[in-house]
Amino acid sequence: MTTFLELDGSEGEGGGQILRTALSLSMCTGTPIRIANIRARRKVPGLMRQHLTAVQAAAEICGAELEGGRLGSTRLSFVPGPIRGGDYRFAIGTAGSCTLVFQTVLPALLRADEPSRIRLQGGTHNPLAPPYHFLERAFLPLLRRMGAVVSLELQRFGFYPAGGGEFTASITPATLAPLTLDQPGTRLNAYAESFCAALPIAVARRELDVVRKRLGWDEPQLLLRGLSNDQGPGNALLITLEQEAVTELFTGFGEKGVTAEAVAAHAVDQVRQYLASGAAVGPYLADQLLLPLALAGTGSFTASAVTRHSLTNAEVIRRFLGTPIRTETLDSGACRISVG
Amino acid sequence: MTSIKKIVVIGFVGSQLDSGKGMGRWEKWRPTVGLTQREDLVIHRLELLHAPRHRPLVDQLVADIGQVSPETRVNPVSIDLADPWDFGEVYGALYDFATGYPFDTEKEDYWIHITTGTHVVQICWFLMAEARYLPGLLLQTSPPRRQKTGEVGDYVLIDLDLSKYDPIARRFAREQADAIALLKSGIATRNDHFNRVITEIETVAVRSRAPILLMGPTGAGKSFLAKRVYELKKARRQLEGPFVEVNCATLRGDGAASALFGHTKGAFTGAVAERGGLLRSADRGLLFLDEIGELGADEQAMLLKAIEEKKFFPVGGDREVESHFQLIAGTHRDLRRDVAAGRFREDLFARINLWTYELPSLTRRPEDIEPNLDYLLAQHSTELGRMVRFNKEARRRYLGFATSPAARWSGNFRDLSASLLRMATLADGGRIDDDLVNAEISRLGTLWQPEPTTTECTLDGLLTEAELSGLDLFDRLQLESVVRICRESRTLSEAGRRLFAASLANRSSNNDADRLRKYLARFGLDWGRINASRPKT
Repeated sequence: MTTFLELDGSEGEGGGQILRTALSLSMCTGTPIRIANIRARRKVPGLMRQHLTAVQAAAEICGAELEGGRLGSTRLSFVPGPIRGGDYRFAIGTAGSCTLVFQTVLPALLRADEPSRIRLQGGTHNPLAPPYHFLERAFLPLLRRMGAVVSLELQRFGFYPAGGGEFTASITPATLAPLTLDQPGTRLNAYAESFCAALPIAVARRELDVVRKRLGWDEPQLLLRGLSNDQGPGNALLITLEQEAVTELFTGFGEKGVTAEAVAAHAVDQVRQYLASGAAVGPYLADQLLLPLALAGTGSFTASAVTRHSLTNAEVIRRFLGTPIRTETLDSGACRISVG
Repeated sequence: MTSIKKIVVIGFVGSQLDSGKGMGRWEKWRPTVGLTQREDLVIHRLELLHAPRHRPLVDQLVADIGQVSPETRVNPVSIDLADPWDFGEVYGALYDFATGYPFDTEKEDYWIHITTGTHVVQICWFLMAEARYLPGLLLQTSPPRRQKTGEVGDYVLIDLDLSKYDPIARRFAREQADAIALLKSGIATRNDHFNRVITEIETVAVRSRAPILLMGPTGAGKSFLAKRVYELKKARRQLEGPFVEVNCATLRGDGAASALFGHTKGAFTGAVAERGGLLRSADRGLLFLDEIGELGADEQAMLLKAIEEKKFFPVGGDREVESHFQLIAGTHRDLRRDVAAGRFREDLFARINLWTYELPSLTRRPEDIEPNLDYLLAQHSTELGRMVRFNKEARRRYLGFATSPAARWSGNFRDLSASLLRMATLADGGRIDDDLVNAEISRLGTLWQPEPTTTECTLDGLLTEAELSGLDLFDRLQLESVVRICRESRTLSEAGRRLFAASLANRSSNNDADRLRKYLARFGLDWGRINASRPKT
C-alpha cells in the first residue's frame, strides 16, 4: 500500500508555493503526496490554470499518477515515478509564469538519468513571480556554484496579459554541494534596465529618472531597453547589483493605472532595504535557496528579511527531508538562515 | 468549476468588441479572448462563427488565444450573412449550424456566448437554446468594472430551464400551493387520493378551459369545489363573469329549457317578457350544472351545441345568442350506465368526460373527518360570532363515533357540517361537552334511520309470509336492521365490523363475521341470499 505524505495546502502562505515546493520534493525523493485544502482560503479556491500546468509538467517528467488534478480541485494526490530527462515543452496559459514552472521541475531534472532541454512558453516577466533575468543573473549562478550545470536562453519576452514569451533551459544532472553566503561582497557593477514593449518610451525614461535621483546613479548605469512591439505590451524595470559573492536583482512592473514613478519607487525601495541590511541575499533569493541547500544537505546564508514564503518552504522541506532550518536575527536586523 | 466534461464555447466574433489594432488590444476587454484568459476556467474548444469578411480579425484572435490559452482549440466557422440584422436570415443560418453540429452532450458542455454578435443574433441564440436546438447554457460575459490590464471581466451562465432557479421554482411552488389551498379552502386533507385529485384539478383549472366533470355522492363537496375552481380562475384573470350554479334536478318540464337557455317574449304561454337564461348569465364566467344526469333529452342536445359552438337558440328564438362559459358538471349517478341505458346522450357525455374526477364520500376518507371538523368548527364559530371548542373527552368521543362504521354520513359533508353547527349553536360558554356529543350522536342515529317504506320490504323475498308471521316483532325489527346493514356492506366481514363495532372496540369478540353468519343462520339466511335479494338501484 502506498504511504502518502499528507500536506495541508491552507497552511502558511496558503497559495501555490506549498504546491510547487511539494511537487519538487516529491519528485526528488520519490515520496507520494496528498495535498488537501489547496488554496482553501483564496477567493477562488483550488487549482487554477497556472498551478495545473505545474502539476502536469511535474507529472510528465516523472510519469506520476495523479488524482484530483483538475481545475478547481482542492485535493491532489501525486505518486511520482522515476525522473526522466529529455526534451520537454510546456505552454502556460493566461500568460502564467514560465519561471515558476521551471523552478518546480528544475530540482528534479538535476537528478534525472540524462540531460534535459526544456522549452517554456508563456509569461517571462510576471508580477508575483521571479522574472527570467532574476533566474539568469541571481539564482542560477549560485546554483552553478553548488555544482549544477544549467544554462538559460531567452527567446522572447512575455508580459502579462498577452504572454507569448519563451525561454529554453539546458540542464545536466549533478549533485549539489553545500553553500555558505555570509556577505554580498564588494560591488562590481550596478545598473538599472527598463524594458519596454509597445508602450511609450517616456515610461522607461521616467522610471530610470527615479532610479537616478534616488540611488544617485550615473547615466551609464541607466539602460533603456526598447523591445519590439510584438513582445508587448509590457514594461519591467530591473535593477541589478553585481557583487563579488552574490548578484541580486530587484524588479518593478509597469501597470496600467500606476505611474512610472510609483513603479520605479517600489523597486528602488527594495534595493535600499537590501543594501541597508548588509545581508548577502534579499527576501526572494532567500526563498529560492532553501530547497537547493536542503537537497545539498547543508548550507547557510544571511538574508535581509524572512518572508512567509520562506517559512512555508522551510516547513514543507522539514516534512519531506527532516532537515531543520533555523533563523537567527543578527545585530544589523538581518537574519542568518542555516539549513541542516 | 470542477468539470470533467470539456467546455465548448459557441459564439460569434464580436466585430467591434473583439477587435483591436496594435498591442493596445491587450489592454482592452475583448469578450471572446477574455474567456480564454481566465485562471479559473479552461475552454477546450471555441467554435468561432464569423462573416467571411472578418477573416483577418479571426486570424488575429486565433493567434492571440493560442498565446494566452494553449489549451484552447479555436475552430473558425464562416457563415455568410447578407444582413446580420435580418431575423429570418440569421435564424435560418444558425438553425442550419445547430442542426448540423455534432453535439456530444455526454462528453462536452456547450456554452452559447451571447455577448458578441448583433441583437438579432442574440435573440436567435436565445430562441434556439430555449427550443433545445442548442443543448447548452447561455453564456454572458461582461467587462471589468475598471478596464485595467489583466482584468478579464466576468461571466454568467444562464440556464433556460426555469426549474433550476430556486427562487423562481419556489415562487411557482408557492403559487401552486396557494391555488391548491384555495381549492381546498384551507381544508387540510390527509387522504392521498383526494390530495392527488385536488392537485390535478388545480393544474387543469389553470391550464384548460375544457369542461370538468365532478362525480360523487351528494354532499361530497362538488358544488364547493366548483366554486373554488371559479375563484382560482378568477384570481388568475381567466374569468371575468359570475359563478352560476344550477341543480338540474330542480329543472323540470318546459321551464327547464327556458331557465337554462332563456326565451323570447311570447315564446310560449306565460312568456310575457324576454328571459336571458342561466347560460347567458354565465357568459365569461363559470357554469356549474349539478346533477347533469337529470337533464331532459332536449336540454342535453341544446347544451351540447352551447358547449361546442358557444352559441345556442333561446326557446322560441330564431337568432342565436352567444355565451362563453367554463362548464363544470356534477353528478352522483354513473353517467356511463345512463349512456348505456339511453338516458344520457353519448356525445354530450364524451364532451364533458375529458377531465373527470370522483370525489370520495366522507366514509371513504375517514382520515379527513378530523381536519374538516376543525375547519368547519372554525367556520361556524365565525358565523356564530363566538369561539366554540370541544372539551377534550367530548372531542375524542365525537371523533370516535364519526370515524366508526356506525356513522353513515349519508349526506357526507353536509351532514358533518350540520352536525357541528347544531353542537356549536347549542354549546354553552363555547364548550361542546360530553352531553352535547351524546345527544348529537343519537340525533344522527335517528337521522340515518332507514325510511319506513324500505323497512317494510326489507325481509320480502328472504322469508315467506308464514315465516314472517312466526317472528316476534322484537326479532323482526332486529333482523330487518341487520339485513339492511348487510345490504349496505360489500362483504360479510364489513357488515360484521359495523354490527359488532362496540365489541370490537372492547376486544370482547374477534370474529364478528362468524358471529353474524351464525345469527343469520338462525333464520335460515346466509350472505349469498341476502346479496342476491339486494334491491336494484
